[in-house]
Amino acid sequence: MASNNRVAAVGVGYSTTGRRTGLTSRQLAVQAATAAMRDAGMTPKDIDGASMLWAVSGAAPPGLDVVDSMDIAHMLGIGPLNFWNSGAGPAYIGPAVQAVAAIKSGFCHTVLSMRVIRQKLTAAEMLAQDTDSKPDYVEDDFQFVAPFGSIAPLQAIAAMPAQRHMDLYGTTEEHFGRHVVAQREWASHNPDAIFRTPLTLDDYFASRYISKPVRLLDCDYPVDSASAIIYTTEERARDFAKKPVFAESTAFSSVKYLTFENLDDIIENSPDHCARNLWARTDLKPKDVDCVQLYDGFTIIVFQWLEALGFCGRGEAGPFIAEGHTAMGGRLPLNTDGGACNVGRRHGANFCIESIRQLRGDESGVRQVPDAKVALWANAVGSFSGAMLMTAE
Amino acid sequence: MAATFPPLPLPTPLTQFFWDGCKARKLMILRCQGCGWFVHYPRPVCNKCLSTDLSPQEVSGRASLYAYTVTMQAFHPYYVDKLPYTLAVVELEEQAGLRITTNMVDTEEAALKAGLPVKITWREVAPDFVLPMFTKADA
Repeated sequence: MASNNRVAAVGVGYSTTGRRTGLTSRQLAVQAATAAMRDAGMTPKDIDGASMLWAVSGAAPPGLDVVDSMDIAHMLGIGPLNFWNSGAGPAYIGPAVQAVAAIKSGFCHTVLSMRVIRQKLTAAEMLAQDTDSKPDYVEDDFQFVAPFGSIAPLQAIAAMPAQRHMDLYGTTEEHFGRHVVAQREWASHNPDAIFRTPLTLDDYFASRYISKPVRLLDCDYPVDSASAIIYTTEERARDFAKKPVFAESTAFSSVKYLTFENLDDIIENSPDHCARNLWARTDLKPKDVDCVQLYDGFTIIVFQWLEALGFCGRGEAGPFIAEGHTAMGGRLPLNTDGGACNVGRRHGANFCIESIRQLRGDESGVRQVPDAKVALWANAVGSFSGAMLMTAE
Repeated sequence: MAATFPPLPLPTPLTQFFWDGCKARKLMILRCQGCGWFVHYPRPVCNKCLSTDLSPQEVSGRASLYAYTVTMQAFHPYYVDKLPYTLAVVELEEQAGLRITTNMVDTEEAALKAGLPVKITWREVAPDFVLPMFTKADA
């Protein structure tokens, strides 16, 4: 097998996205995969690998159909496959890392990578469950957290680290609000965004608390969605329709098993490990990055990544954002598609797609970062996460 | 109407000691008999010395507040009449980084801050179901 030094992203696509779309997981996946092939000017015969993660982030509504990468590939006439993976991982960065690693190693040449996510049970649906006649038993390590009321992912993933960030560094709720307002301004210019009405800081403070200091506006928006990105070798990349965007450096990290409550450090964790590897694998530096797309499952995660990646000092993300650097017109455009809070939960895939579109240079309208050549996207946090630095020629 | 029970543990042979301890109002943590390292969550091996000789030991219940959040919305029927409640992670005095998830009780919200000294208090949160919670330690 010949190994390939450079891997390029050549196609991107989304499914219909929204609350309870009525579409099956297979239908969502097919929509996104065909959109990505169309974007690349590619047919199923050009693809020999598939990576995908299907999941609900939280309690699943009954009756959802699960898909995996083999199923999707073969139903689309892709195959035989030289590589596939449908394993767990932290959201879209998992399938992305698998695709890049498989192509680099020479196991395959072109991978369809996907994230298919289904909307979880709503809070009202969770409260409607009759847990007395059907007790809610909790297994594994979760037996040590759920009986104390750690039930919604945001409590441990976001609220506790955000509160500790405030306690340690003097971060304020206004700092969180500044990010939410700046990110919504980007969304207001994105026709794909679900939420496009600009927000003020007053709107942020009027948003109710879910678990302090996390407010409703700090949370990404749960939807049914599928996202697809196609990667290939540098040599093949130049044969397809769109300008190739290269995976310059990719990093993946696991620092603890699953539960966030038991992290050695609830603020400095897998993103810090990722960042060290990401920068060690490239000659590029933070100052070379034209735009960043940082996972915003919850606002504090953006702060953690900004600090881990070295765009500001530890504990300084709040003032950095308040100074306007991440907003439109700032020196570090951040979440230029509006983020998952506004485009809906694509679990990181939107940040990969937005990076690619920014680097293609002609797909982002007024959101376009002038002459963007280097984009960085990051996904997940805490126990596990990953990041990718992408470049255009 | 609020449910009688919160989410309940489904103990395994490895974790049964913890829940038996709660019933007896003793906080038990697995400890390596080879090197003395506490291991939580329970595992069949010590992650410091790889000894598989571990057994539960009662700890003091003195700790410091590591992280917390005042939860304002219920995500389970048990909590609908118990809002707000304070979910917390506390670091036990026995070992740096040895932490458990719990609730802070009987402590005014303004006093909550990372590093606050706390002590254990036991609460029967449902019939025959006792949990270790924490409260601000005496000055």
